[in-house]
Amino acid sequence: MSTREDTRREDTRREDTRREDTRPDHARESNIDGTSIIPFGPQHPVLPEPLHFDLFLRDEKVVGAIPQIGYIHRGLELLVEKRDYTDYVHVAERICGICSFMHGMGYCEAVEGMLGLSVPDRGRWLRTFWCELERAHSHLMWMGLAADAFGFESLFMAAWRARELVIDVAEETAGGRVIFGSAIVGGVSRDPSDETLARCMKALKPARDDIRKLSRVMLQDSTVKHRLEGVGVLSRERAYELGAVGPMLRASGYDYDVRRRGYAAYGEIPFETVVEESGDCMARAAVRIREIEQSFAIMEKVVAGMPAGPVSVPVKGMPPVGECFARLEQPRGEVIYYVKSNGSRNLERFRVRTPTFANVPAMVEAMRGSSLADVPTIILTIDPCISCTER
Amino acid sequence: MTEKEVQVVDEIEVGRLLPEVDALRSAGWRIIQVLCVSSAEGCELSYSFGLALAMKSLRFRVAPDVAVPSITALFPAAFLYENEIRDLFGVRIERIGADWMGKVYDVAGDKPFSKVTVIGPRSEGGGV
Repeated sequence: MSTREDTRREDTRREDTRREDTRPDHARESNIDGTSIIPFGPQHPVLPEPLHFDLFLRDEKVVGAIPQIGYIHRGLELLVEKRDYTDYVHVAERICGICSFMHGMGYCEAVEGMLGLSVPDRGRWLRTFWCELERAHSHLMWMGLAADAFGFESLFMAAWRARELVIDVAEETAGGRVIFGSAIVGGVSRDPSDETLARCMKALKPARDDIRKLSRVMLQDSTVKHRLEGVGVLSRERAYELGAVGPMLRASGYDYDVRRRGYAAYGEIPFETVVEESGDCMARAAVRIREIEQSFAIMEKVVAGMPAGPVSVPVKGMPPVGECFARLEQPRGEVIYYVKSNGSRNLERFRVRTPTFANVPAMVEAMRGSSLADVPTIILTIDPCISCTER
Repeated sequence: MTEKEVQVVDEIEVGRLLPEVDALRSAGWRIIQVLCVSSAEGCELSYSFGLALAMKSLRFRVAPDVAVPSITALFPAAFLYENEIRDLFGVRIERIGADWMGKVYDVAGDKPFSKVTVIGPRSEGGGV
Protein backbone atom coordinates (compact mmCIF):
# COMPACT_ATOMS: atom_id res chain seq x y z
CA MET A 1 0.00 0.00 0.00
CA SER A 2 1.45 3.28 -1.05
CA THR A 3 1.91 6.02 1.44
CA ARG A 4 1.72 9.75 0.94
CA GLU A 5 5.56 9.84 1.08
CA ASP A 6 5.78 7.32 -1.78
CA THR A 7 3.41 9.42 -3.87
CA ARG A 8 5.47 12.55 -3.24
CA ARG A 9 8.67 10.76 -4.29
CA GLU A 10 7.03 9.54 -7.50
CA ASP A 11 5.84 13.07 -8.33
CA THR A 12 9.34 14.39 -7.74
CA ARG A 13 10.83 11.72 -10.01
CA ARG A 14 8.38 12.59 -12.79
CA GLU A 15 9.12 16.26 -12.38
CA ASP A 16 12.86 15.59 -12.66
CA THR A 17 12.26 13.59 -15.83
CA ARG A 18 10.24 16.42 -17.38
CA ARG A 19 12.78 19.07 -16.42
CA GLU A 20 14.84 20.24 -19.37
CA ASP A 21 18.25 18.62 -19.52
CA THR A 22 20.61 21.56 -19.96
CA ARG A 23 23.80 19.54 -20.02
CA PRO A 24 25.90 19.65 -23.21
CA ASP A 25 25.15 17.10 -25.91
CA HIS A 26 28.26 15.12 -25.09
CA ALA A 27 27.31 14.78 -21.45
CA ARG A 28 23.83 13.56 -22.35
CA GLU A 29 25.06 11.16 -25.00
CA SER A 30 27.91 9.89 -22.85
CA ASN A 31 25.47 9.38 -19.99
CA ILE A 32 27.75 11.26 -17.62
CA ASP A 33 25.51 11.71 -14.63
CA GLY A 34 26.22 13.16 -11.23
CA THR A 35 29.23 15.05 -12.42
CA SER A 36 30.58 18.53 -11.91
CA ILE A 37 31.82 20.52 -14.88
CA ILE A 38 35.02 22.48 -14.31
CA PRO A 39 36.17 24.90 -17.02
CA PHE A 40 39.92 24.58 -17.70
CA GLY A 41 41.43 27.39 -19.80
CA PRO A 42 41.54 29.10 -22.22
CA GLN A 43 43.74 31.17 -19.89
CA HIS A 44 45.67 28.95 -17.49
CA PRO A 45 49.15 29.19 -15.93
CA VAL A 46 50.38 26.05 -17.75
CA LEU A 47 48.98 27.06 -21.13
CA PRO A 48 51.10 29.51 -23.14
CA GLU A 49 48.33 29.55 -25.74
CA PRO A 50 44.54 29.44 -25.45
CA LEU A 51 42.91 26.03 -25.21
CA HIS A 52 39.77 25.21 -23.29
CA PHE A 53 38.39 22.05 -21.75
CA ASP A 54 35.13 21.36 -20.01
CA LEU A 55 36.25 18.76 -17.50
CA PHE A 56 33.60 16.39 -16.18
CA LEU A 57 34.54 15.43 -12.65
CA ARG A 58 33.23 12.88 -10.23
CA ASP A 59 34.81 13.99 -6.97
CA GLU A 60 38.43 14.62 -8.04
CA LYS A 61 38.39 12.14 -10.89
CA VAL A 62 38.07 13.23 -14.53
CA VAL A 63 35.40 11.10 -16.22
CA GLY A 64 35.23 13.07 -19.46
CA ALA A 65 36.46 16.19 -21.21
CA ILE A 66 35.25 18.33 -24.07
CA PRO A 67 38.02 20.25 -25.83
CA GLN A 68 37.45 23.65 -27.41
CA ILE A 69 39.82 25.37 -29.82
CA GLY A 70 39.39 28.26 -32.21
CA TYR A 71 40.25 31.27 -30.05
CA ILE A 72 43.05 32.51 -32.31
CA HIS A 73 42.28 30.99 -35.70
CA ARG A 74 44.12 33.07 -38.32
CA GLY A 75 43.00 31.65 -41.64
CA LEU A 76 46.56 31.41 -43.00
CA GLU A 77 45.55 28.60 -45.34
CA LEU A 78 43.22 30.98 -47.17
CA LEU A 79 46.06 33.45 -47.72
CA VAL A 80 47.60 31.09 -50.29
CA GLU A 81 45.01 32.35 -52.79
CA LYS A 82 46.45 35.87 -52.57
CA ARG A 83 50.21 35.24 -52.52
CA ASP A 84 52.60 34.05 -55.20
CA TYR A 85 53.23 30.34 -54.68
CA THR A 86 56.97 30.86 -54.20
CA ASP A 87 56.46 33.69 -51.70
CA TYR A 88 53.89 31.83 -49.61
CA VAL A 89 56.67 29.84 -47.93
CA HIS A 90 57.22 32.90 -45.70
CA VAL A 91 53.59 32.68 -44.55
CA ALA A 92 53.84 28.91 -44.05
CA GLU A 93 56.88 29.41 -41.81
CA ARG A 94 54.85 31.70 -39.61
CA ILE A 95 52.22 29.08 -38.84
CA CYS A 96 54.24 28.35 -35.73
CA GLY A 97 57.30 29.86 -34.09
CA ILE A 98 58.62 26.55 -32.75
CA CYS A 99 58.55 24.34 -35.84
CA SER A 100 58.73 27.22 -38.31
CA PHE A 101 61.41 25.73 -40.55
CA MET A 102 59.55 22.46 -40.92
CA HIS A 103 56.34 24.25 -41.87
CA GLY A 104 58.19 26.16 -44.56
CA MET A 105 59.97 23.03 -45.71
CA GLY A 106 56.75 20.96 -45.71
CA TYR A 107 55.07 23.52 -47.94
CA CYS A 108 58.12 23.48 -50.23
CA GLU A 109 58.15 19.65 -50.35
CA ALA A 110 54.48 19.62 -51.39
CA VAL A 111 55.02 22.28 -54.08
CA GLU A 112 58.19 20.56 -55.31
CA GLY A 113 56.27 17.28 -55.54
CA MET A 114 53.63 19.01 -57.65
CA LEU A 115 56.27 20.64 -59.87
CA GLY A 116 58.35 17.44 -60.13
CA LEU A 117 61.41 19.27 -58.78
CA SER A 118 64.39 17.50 -57.23
CA VAL A 119 66.29 19.42 -54.56
CA PRO A 120 70.10 19.17 -54.86
CA ASP A 121 71.83 16.84 -52.40
CA ARG A 122 73.42 19.59 -50.30
CA GLY A 123 70.05 21.34 -50.03
CA ARG A 124 68.43 18.12 -48.78
CA TRP A 125 71.16 17.53 -46.21
CA LEU A 126 70.96 21.12 -44.95
CA ARG A 127 67.19 20.73 -44.60
CA THR A 128 67.81 17.63 -42.48
CA PHE A 129 70.30 19.53 -40.31
CA TRP A 130 67.81 22.33 -39.62
CA CYS A 131 64.94 19.89 -39.03
CA GLU A 132 66.91 18.16 -36.28
CA LEU A 133 68.10 21.46 -34.83
CA GLU A 134 64.48 22.52 -34.61
CA ARG A 135 63.43 19.21 -33.04
CA ALA A 136 66.13 19.60 -30.36
CA HIS A 137 65.12 23.15 -29.47
CA SER A 138 61.42 22.27 -29.48
CA HIS A 139 61.93 19.31 -27.13
CA LEU A 140 64.12 21.44 -24.85
CA MET A 141 61.44 24.10 -24.75
CA TRP A 142 58.92 21.39 -23.88
CA MET A 143 61.20 20.07 -21.12
CA GLY A 144 61.30 23.53 -19.55
CA LEU A 145 57.54 24.04 -19.80
CA ALA A 146 56.83 20.58 -18.37
CA ALA A 147 59.22 21.19 -15.46
CA ASP A 148 57.53 24.54 -14.84
CA ALA A 149 54.12 22.83 -14.86
CA PHE A 150 55.02 20.52 -12.00
CA GLY A 151 56.88 23.21 -10.08
CA PHE A 152 60.52 22.34 -10.84
CA GLU A 153 61.72 25.88 -11.55
CA SER A 154 65.46 25.20 -11.64
CA LEU A 155 65.01 22.39 -14.18
CA PHE A 156 62.89 24.76 -16.28
CA MET A 157 65.64 27.38 -16.33
CA ALA A 158 68.44 24.88 -16.95
CA ALA A 159 66.56 23.38 -19.93
CA TRP A 160 66.01 26.78 -21.47
CA ARG A 161 69.65 27.75 -20.92
CA ALA A 162 70.71 24.70 -22.94
CA ARG A 163 68.12 25.59 -25.59
CA GLU A 164 69.70 29.02 -25.96
CA LEU A 165 72.87 27.44 -27.38
CA VAL A 166 70.80 25.50 -29.90
CA ILE A 167 69.06 28.68 -31.02
CA ASP A 168 72.45 30.40 -31.36
CA VAL A 169 73.40 27.71 -33.87
CA ALA A 170 70.16 28.31 -35.77
CA GLU A 171 71.00 32.00 -35.97
CA GLU A 172 74.55 31.36 -37.16
CA THR A 173 73.61 28.80 -39.82
CA ALA A 174 70.15 29.90 -40.98
CA GLY A 175 70.08 33.57 -40.05
CA GLY A 176 67.00 33.48 -37.80
CA ARG A 177 66.51 32.42 -34.20
CA VAL A 178 62.76 31.78 -34.34
CA ILE A 179 61.84 32.01 -38.00
CA PHE A 180 64.80 30.38 -39.75
CA GLY A 181 63.81 31.83 -43.15
CA SER A 182 66.05 29.43 -45.05
CA ALA A 183 63.51 27.16 -46.77
CA ILE A 184 62.63 28.06 -50.34
CA VAL A 185 60.86 26.19 -53.11
CA GLY A 186 63.65 24.30 -54.86
CA GLY A 187 66.03 23.98 -51.91
CA VAL A 188 67.37 26.32 -49.24
CA SER A 189 68.42 29.96 -49.38
CA ARG A 190 71.47 29.71 -47.09
CA ASP A 191 74.64 27.71 -47.53
CA PRO A 192 76.72 27.69 -44.34
CA SER A 193 80.25 26.46 -44.98
CA ASP A 194 81.39 23.05 -43.80
CA GLU A 195 83.71 24.81 -41.33
CA THR A 196 80.79 26.78 -39.88
CA LEU A 197 78.77 23.61 -39.44
CA ALA A 198 81.67 21.81 -37.75
CA ARG A 199 82.24 24.79 -35.43
CA CYS A 200 78.54 24.82 -34.55
CA MET A 201 78.62 21.14 -33.60
CA LYS A 202 81.53 21.90 -31.27
CA ALA A 203 79.62 24.84 -29.82
CA LEU A 204 76.73 22.51 -29.03
CA LYS A 205 78.88 20.18 -26.91
CA PRO A 206 78.31 22.07 -23.60
CA ALA A 207 74.57 21.99 -24.30
CA ARG A 208 74.68 18.23 -24.96
CA ASP A 209 76.58 17.64 -21.70
CA ASP A 210 74.04 19.73 -19.80
CA ILE A 211 71.14 17.94 -21.43
CA ARG A 212 72.48 14.52 -20.37
CA LYS A 213 72.54 15.73 -16.75
CA LEU A 214 69.08 17.27 -17.05
CA SER A 215 67.76 14.08 -18.61
CA ARG A 216 68.88 12.09 -15.60
CA VAL A 217 67.00 14.52 -13.32
CA MET A 218 63.90 14.43 -15.51
CA LEU A 219 63.79 10.64 -15.73
CA GLN A 220 65.12 9.58 -12.32
CA ASP A 221 64.25 12.26 -9.76
CA SER A 222 61.71 10.90 -7.30
CA THR A 223 59.57 14.07 -7.30
CA VAL A 224 59.34 14.04 -11.09
CA LYS A 225 58.55 10.33 -11.16
CA HIS A 226 55.85 10.92 -8.59
CA ARG A 227 54.13 13.38 -10.92
CA LEU A 228 54.61 11.50 -14.20
CA GLU A 229 54.65 7.74 -13.65
CA GLY A 230 51.35 5.99 -14.16
CA VAL A 231 49.61 9.29 -15.00
CA GLY A 232 47.59 9.85 -18.18
CA VAL A 233 48.05 6.34 -19.53
CA LEU A 234 47.16 5.80 -23.18
CA SER A 235 47.18 2.22 -24.42
CA ARG A 236 48.84 1.19 -27.68
CA GLU A 237 45.51 0.23 -29.28
CA ARG A 238 43.70 3.42 -28.27
CA ALA A 239 46.61 5.62 -29.34
CA TYR A 240 46.46 4.07 -32.80
CA GLU A 241 42.66 4.14 -33.09
CA LEU A 242 42.44 7.76 -31.99
CA GLY A 243 44.95 8.92 -34.59
CA ALA A 244 47.71 9.91 -32.16
CA VAL A 245 51.01 10.90 -33.75
CA GLY A 246 54.59 11.64 -32.74
CA PRO A 247 55.90 11.08 -29.22
CA MET A 248 52.28 10.64 -28.07
CA LEU A 249 52.00 7.50 -30.24
CA ARG A 250 55.56 6.23 -29.80
CA ALA A 251 55.30 6.50 -26.00
CA SER A 252 52.45 3.97 -26.18
CA GLY A 253 54.69 1.41 -27.85
CA TYR A 254 53.87 2.11 -31.49
CA ASP A 255 56.86 2.28 -33.84
CA TYR A 256 55.83 5.04 -36.23
CA ASP A 257 58.09 7.83 -37.44
CA VAL A 258 57.47 9.51 -40.80
CA ARG A 259 61.21 10.16 -41.18
CA ARG A 260 61.39 6.47 -42.07
CA ARG A 261 59.86 7.40 -45.43
CA GLY A 262 63.23 8.87 -46.26
CA TYR A 263 62.33 12.44 -47.23
CA ALA A 264 65.16 15.03 -47.27
CA ALA A 265 68.31 13.05 -46.35
CA TYR A 266 66.70 10.68 -43.84
CA GLY A 267 66.87 7.79 -46.28
CA GLU A 268 70.66 8.01 -46.21
CA ILE A 269 71.20 8.49 -42.48
CA PRO A 270 70.60 5.47 -40.24
CA PHE A 271 68.66 6.12 -37.02
CA GLU A 272 66.44 4.17 -34.63
CA THR A 273 62.86 5.12 -33.90
CA VAL A 274 62.54 6.03 -30.20
CA VAL A 275 59.74 3.97 -28.65
CA GLU A 276 58.58 3.56 -25.04
CA GLU A 277 56.03 1.06 -23.83
CA SER A 278 54.17 2.32 -20.76
CA GLY A 279 52.06 5.03 -22.45
CA ASP A 280 52.07 7.35 -19.42
CA CYS A 281 53.39 10.90 -18.97
CA MET A 282 56.84 9.55 -18.05
CA ALA A 283 57.01 7.55 -21.28
CA ARG A 284 56.13 10.64 -23.33
CA ALA A 285 58.84 12.58 -21.47
CA ALA A 286 61.35 9.78 -22.06
CA VAL A 287 60.64 9.66 -25.81
CA ARG A 288 61.27 13.40 -26.19
CA ILE A 289 64.40 13.36 -24.04
CA ARG A 290 65.89 10.45 -25.98
CA GLU A 291 64.97 12.19 -29.24
CA ILE A 292 67.01 15.28 -28.23
CA GLU A 293 70.20 13.22 -28.11
CA GLN A 294 69.16 11.42 -31.28
CA SER A 295 68.73 14.77 -33.08
CA PHE A 296 72.26 15.81 -32.15
CA ALA A 297 73.56 12.43 -33.36
CA ILE A 298 71.78 12.85 -36.71
CA MET A 299 73.17 16.40 -37.01
CA GLU A 300 76.68 15.02 -36.45
CA LYS A 301 76.18 12.51 -39.25
CA VAL A 302 74.81 15.22 -41.53
CA VAL A 303 77.79 17.50 -40.91
CA ALA A 304 80.24 14.61 -41.37
CA GLY A 305 78.68 13.51 -44.66
CA MET A 306 77.58 16.86 -46.09
CA PRO A 307 77.85 16.68 -49.88
CA ALA A 308 79.25 19.57 -51.88
CA GLY A 309 77.36 21.36 -54.60
CA PRO A 310 74.46 23.74 -55.10
CA VAL A 311 71.75 24.09 -52.43
CA SER A 312 68.81 24.94 -54.66
CA VAL A 313 67.46 24.82 -58.19
CA PRO A 314 65.79 27.80 -59.88
CA VAL A 315 62.00 27.83 -59.94
CA LYS A 316 60.41 29.78 -62.78
CA GLY A 317 57.06 30.12 -64.44
CA MET A 318 53.59 29.00 -63.46
CA PRO A 319 52.94 25.81 -61.54
CA PRO A 320 51.08 23.11 -63.50
CA VAL A 321 47.50 22.18 -62.72
CA GLY A 322 47.80 19.48 -60.10
CA GLU A 323 47.99 18.60 -56.45
CA CYS A 324 50.36 16.96 -53.99
CA PHE A 325 50.44 15.63 -50.42
CA ALA A 326 53.64 15.79 -48.37
CA ARG A 327 54.31 14.40 -44.90
CA LEU A 328 57.04 15.26 -42.39
CA GLU A 329 57.85 14.27 -38.81
CA GLN A 330 57.68 17.44 -36.75
CA PRO A 331 58.72 17.52 -33.06
CA ARG A 332 55.07 16.88 -32.13
CA GLY A 333 54.50 14.24 -34.77
CA GLU A 334 53.36 13.66 -38.31
CA VAL A 335 52.23 16.73 -40.21
CA ILE A 336 50.43 16.51 -43.56
CA TYR A 337 50.60 19.24 -46.20
CA TYR A 338 48.40 19.47 -49.25
CA VAL A 339 48.66 21.88 -52.15
CA LYS A 340 46.42 22.21 -55.19
CA SER A 341 47.14 24.38 -58.20
CA ASN A 342 44.83 25.65 -60.93
CA GLY A 343 47.74 26.71 -63.11
CA SER A 344 47.99 30.30 -61.90
CA ARG A 345 50.65 31.83 -59.65
CA ASN A 346 48.24 31.65 -56.72
CA LEU A 347 47.50 28.16 -55.48
CA GLU A 348 43.88 27.11 -55.14
CA ARG A 349 44.30 25.36 -51.81
CA PHE A 350 46.88 24.84 -49.10
CA ARG A 351 46.07 22.70 -46.14
CA VAL A 352 48.05 21.65 -43.06
CA ARG A 353 46.96 18.82 -40.77
CA THR A 354 49.05 19.62 -37.73
CA PRO A 355 50.13 17.05 -35.13
CA THR A 356 48.37 18.74 -32.23
CA PHE A 357 45.11 18.69 -34.20
CA ALA A 358 45.53 14.91 -34.59
CA ASN A 359 46.43 14.47 -30.91
CA VAL A 360 43.36 16.19 -29.44
CA PRO A 361 41.17 13.02 -29.26
CA ALA A 362 44.05 11.07 -27.68
CA MET A 363 44.63 13.89 -25.19
CA VAL A 364 41.01 13.66 -24.06
CA GLU A 365 41.37 9.88 -23.72
CA ALA A 366 44.54 10.24 -21.63
CA MET A 367 42.73 12.57 -19.21
CA ARG A 368 39.93 10.12 -18.57
CA GLY A 369 40.40 8.47 -15.17
CA SER A 370 43.08 10.89 -14.00
CA SER A 371 42.77 13.30 -11.08
CA LEU A 372 42.09 17.00 -11.61
CA ALA A 373 45.56 17.90 -10.28
CA ASP A 374 47.18 15.80 -13.02
CA VAL A 375 45.37 17.47 -15.93
CA PRO A 376 48.00 20.22 -16.45
CA THR A 377 50.76 17.61 -16.51
CA ILE A 378 48.89 15.45 -19.00
CA ILE A 379 48.27 18.42 -21.29
CA LEU A 380 51.95 19.43 -21.11
CA THR A 381 53.21 15.94 -21.92
CA ILE A 382 51.18 16.01 -25.14
CA ASP A 383 53.14 19.20 -25.92
CA PRO A 384 50.22 20.98 -27.58
CA CYS A 385 50.95 23.71 -30.10
CA ILE A 386 47.90 25.87 -30.52
CA SER A 387 49.58 28.18 -33.05
CA CYS A 388 49.89 25.19 -35.38
CA THR A 389 46.35 24.08 -34.68
CA GLU A 390 44.93 27.57 -35.25
CA ARG A 391 46.82 28.05 -38.53
CA MET B 1 67.20 10.84 -53.44
CA THR B 2 64.24 12.26 -51.60
CA GLU B 3 61.41 9.79 -51.21
CA LYS B 4 58.31 11.47 -52.69
CA GLU B 5 54.90 10.80 -51.20
CA VAL B 6 53.01 8.19 -53.21
CA GLN B 7 49.71 9.82 -54.10
CA VAL B 8 46.92 7.26 -53.95
CA VAL B 9 43.47 8.82 -54.36
CA ASP B 10 40.38 6.69 -55.03
CA GLU B 11 37.37 8.56 -56.42
CA ILE B 12 34.05 7.33 -54.99
CA GLU B 13 30.40 8.40 -54.78
CA VAL B 14 29.27 9.95 -51.52
CA GLY B 15 26.87 7.04 -51.03
CA ARG B 16 29.83 4.63 -50.94
CA LEU B 17 31.67 6.55 -48.21
CA LEU B 18 30.66 4.49 -45.19
CA PRO B 19 31.14 1.03 -46.78
CA GLU B 20 34.55 2.05 -48.15
CA VAL B 21 35.65 3.50 -44.82
CA ASP B 22 34.40 0.41 -43.01
CA ALA B 23 36.44 -1.80 -45.36
CA LEU B 24 39.57 0.26 -44.71
CA ARG B 25 38.98 0.11 -40.97
CA SER B 26 38.63 -3.66 -41.11
CA ALA B 27 41.93 -3.84 -42.98
CA GLY B 28 43.70 -1.91 -40.19
CA TRP B 29 43.83 1.56 -41.73
CA ARG B 30 43.22 4.59 -39.52
CA ILE B 31 41.99 8.08 -40.32
CA ILE B 32 44.80 10.64 -40.55
CA GLN B 33 43.06 13.64 -42.06
CA VAL B 34 39.96 14.94 -43.81
CA LEU B 35 40.47 17.68 -46.37
CA CYS B 36 38.00 19.97 -48.10
CA VAL B 37 38.51 22.02 -51.27
CA SER B 38 35.72 24.46 -52.08
CA SER B 39 34.63 25.68 -55.49
CA ALA B 40 31.62 27.52 -56.88
CA GLU B 41 29.85 24.21 -57.63
CA GLY B 42 30.36 22.62 -54.27
CA CYS B 43 33.04 20.91 -52.23
CA GLU B 44 35.54 18.15 -52.82
CA LEU B 45 36.22 16.05 -49.72
CA SER B 46 39.27 13.81 -49.34
CA TYR B 47 39.48 11.35 -46.46
CA SER B 48 43.08 10.17 -45.95
CA PHE B 49 43.97 6.94 -44.17
CA GLY B 50 47.28 5.60 -42.95
CA LEU B 51 48.63 2.10 -42.46
CA ALA B 52 52.26 1.88 -41.37
CA LEU B 53 53.93 4.44 -43.66
CA ALA B 54 51.40 4.08 -46.49
CA MET B 55 48.70 6.66 -47.14
CA LYS B 56 45.63 6.54 -49.35
CA SER B 57 42.66 8.84 -49.79
CA LEU B 58 39.00 8.51 -50.70
CA ARG B 59 37.58 11.45 -52.59
CA PHE B 60 34.15 12.63 -53.72
CA ARG B 61 32.44 15.85 -54.71
CA VAL B 62 29.21 17.11 -53.20
CA ALA B 63 26.80 19.86 -54.19
CA PRO B 64 26.00 22.41 -51.47
CA ASP B 65 22.62 20.88 -50.66
CA VAL B 66 23.84 17.27 -50.37
CA ALA B 67 24.32 15.80 -46.90
CA VAL B 68 27.46 13.83 -46.10
CA PRO B 69 27.30 11.05 -43.50
CA SER B 70 29.69 11.31 -40.58
CA ILE B 71 32.31 8.59 -40.24
CA THR B 72 32.61 9.06 -36.47
CA ALA B 73 30.71 5.82 -35.84
CA LEU B 74 33.69 4.06 -37.45
CA PHE B 75 36.45 6.48 -36.50
CA PRO B 76 35.46 8.57 -33.44
CA ALA B 77 38.64 10.65 -33.87
CA ALA B 78 37.22 12.11 -37.10
CA PHE B 79 34.90 14.38 -35.11
CA LEU B 80 37.36 17.26 -35.10
CA TYR B 81 37.92 17.19 -38.87
CA GLU B 82 34.19 16.99 -39.55
CA ASN B 83 33.33 19.83 -37.19
CA GLU B 84 36.03 21.96 -38.77
CA ILE B 85 34.83 21.32 -42.33
CA ARG B 86 31.27 22.11 -41.40
CA ASP B 87 32.28 25.35 -39.67
CA LEU B 88 34.70 26.65 -42.28
CA PHE B 89 33.15 25.33 -45.50
CA GLY B 90 29.50 24.84 -44.60
CA VAL B 91 29.41 21.19 -45.72
CA ARG B 92 26.34 19.43 -44.33
CA ILE B 93 27.89 16.60 -42.33
CA GLU B 94 25.23 14.71 -40.43
CA ARG B 95 25.36 12.75 -37.18
CA ILE B 96 28.82 13.78 -36.02
CA GLY B 97 29.67 11.78 -32.90
CA ALA B 98 30.84 14.78 -30.91
CA ASP B 99 28.94 17.68 -32.45
CA TRP B 100 30.25 21.11 -31.44
CA MET B 101 27.31 22.81 -33.18
CA GLY B 102 29.41 25.28 -35.14
CA LYS B 103 31.58 26.36 -32.22
CA VAL B 104 34.98 24.98 -33.21
CA TYR B 105 36.11 28.32 -34.59
CA ASP B 106 34.92 31.67 -33.36
CA VAL B 107 35.18 33.43 -36.72
CA ALA B 108 33.62 36.74 -37.71
CA GLY B 109 31.98 35.47 -40.91
CA ASP B 110 29.84 32.46 -41.67
CA LYS B 111 31.59 29.65 -43.61
CA PRO B 112 34.70 31.79 -44.36
CA PHE B 113 36.41 29.15 -46.54
CA SER B 114 33.37 28.45 -48.71
CA LYS B 115 33.34 29.56 -52.35
CA VAL B 116 29.94 28.12 -53.12
CA THR B 117 27.85 30.64 -55.03
CA VAL B 118 24.20 30.46 -54.06
CA ILE B 119 21.80 32.70 -55.96
CA GLY B 120 18.89 33.25 -53.64
CA PRO B 121 15.61 35.18 -53.95
CA ARG B 122 15.94 38.95 -54.10
CA SER B 123 15.36 40.54 -50.72
CA GLU B 124 12.26 42.69 -50.19
CA GLY B 125 14.37 45.79 -49.73
CA GLY B 126 15.36 45.47 -53.37
CA GLY B 127 19.01 46.32 -52.95
CA VAL B 128 22.21 45.41 -51.28
